[in-house]
Amino acid sequence: MTASFLDREHTVAPPGFNRFMVPPAALAVHLSIGQAYAFSTFNLPLTKLIGLSQSAPGDWDLKQVGWIFSIAIVFLGSSAAVFGRWVERVGPRKSMFTAALCFGGGFLVSAVGIHLHQLWIIYLGYGVLGGCGLGIGYISPVSTLIKWFPDRPGMATGMAIMGFGGGALIAAPLSVLLMAHFKTATSNGVLETFVTMGVIYFMFMMIGVYAARVPAAGWKPAGWTAPAQPKQLVTTANVAVDAAWRTPQFWLLWVVLCMNVSAGIGVIGQASPMIQEIFTGRVTPVAAASFVGLLSLFNMLGRIFWASTSDYIGRRNTYMIFFALGIVLYSSVPTLGHLGQEGLFVAAFCIILSMYGGGFATIPAYLRDMFGTYQVGAIHGRLLTAWSVAGVLGPVLVNYIRQYQIDNGVPKAQAYSVTMYIMCGLLLIGFLCNFAMRAVDEKYHFRGSTEL
Amino acid sequence: MNARLILLWVLVGIPLSWGLLKTLENALKLFQ
Repeated sequence: MTASFLDREHTVAPPGFNRFMVPPAALAVHLSIGQAYAFSTFNLPLTKLIGLSQSAPGDWDLKQVGWIFSIAIVFLGSSAAVFGRWVERVGPRKSMFTAALCFGGGFLVSAVGIHLHQLWIIYLGYGVLGGCGLGIGYISPVSTLIKWFPDRPGMATGMAIMGFGGGALIAAPLSVLLMAHFKTATSNGVLETFVTMGVIYFMFMMIGVYAARVPAAGWKPAGWTAPAQPKQLVTTANVAVDAAWRTPQFWLLWVVLCMNVSAGIGVIGQASPMIQEIFTGRVTPVAAASFVGLLSLFNMLGRIFWASTSDYIGRRNTYMIFFALGIVLYSSVPTLGHLGQEGLFVAAFCIILSMYGGGFATIPAYLRDMFGTYQVGAIHGRLLTAWSVAGVLGPVLVNYIRQYQIDNGVPKAQAYSVTMYIMCGLLLIGFLCNFAMRAVDEKYHFRGSTEL
Repeated sequence: MNARLILLWVLVGIPLSWGLLKTLENALKLFQ
């Protein structure tokens, strides 16, 4: 493979190229990096590398191992923000290739860390290197898809970002399967699983590298013309990333994403103990694990459903639904728990998680509506710092408030009520920011050539 | 072109379908 193969100029699609080749390229990348959501399957095995059946002296504890995922998420957000403009300049092929190298390489470096039993190497491998792969891989297909599907940008980016949710559905059973396969009397199979997954994910992401194409300058879908009267809050102008950063709209969207993610991510982390504690004695650990699986499924389906719906009802209205319906559902959870309505409780959280996923998937199209297509990938990259903040804020709110309640004598079954009302407060902030959204002032519009 | 398009969708569709199937199998345990 030569460097030129990876260059943007060599990825311009020939006439007659079928644009539906691009979503599977994006999916190949997102299905791979979505593995991050299932990293917790390695947590316990990583604490038993010496003891094998149980932790022995010298084994790492869960708290230490938990940092691997946290570092990866921090580097996801920061690398997306730092490398966004580079991704935009070099195009999807080179950026997907870089993401594949980082993400696959992250597993291999971590395998060395497991072999030497040095945790810092795993922090560096999966956390830093893999985290950069996550961030670059996450944003690499976004602006390309928006350019290929000007008529359905929500559906197109929703399809790709759905892959990130779907990646966990694949990675969780795959990790369990591989660890069982490689398990021997002297190894619990984690090292071999890391090497295998590093190679598998690198190769799978290469499908995206080979299939990615950018449209030729001025390309439009056959028979489609841009509406003469653009919809409200859909711009025909462009805003460069450095100017977008300074607009109030960017920060309103930042808060919108941060609040939506904080509310959902706190629940994901605590879903299993939460349902067992609220319905004490009625929900087994196995059933609770199934509940977590169901939430992952709705997290994935919500991405394509809500992002596609936003093409018809508008981005702002879609987020209005997320926040308004979210407030109703979160505020009803304590009552549902008190009444013992397990079915309705599960249904409420399935809808909440669909809107959590929907929030991620609809944001690139919202950015495109507000700032145009010129540097939408780079702007998206910077907005993802909201995810990093929410990744800390959401779990901290849920965990600490629950613990505070229990420490003050509140029964475990009721310890989540205050948390749910705080989540409603977060969603109300998001609702108000979304409500305040107006078109970007013309002084921020980019006047130069938008051809890359 | 169409064969390549189908191949690409099959390549990403197979692992996704497998993951979905495994998740649904587990989710059913919630209602048992």
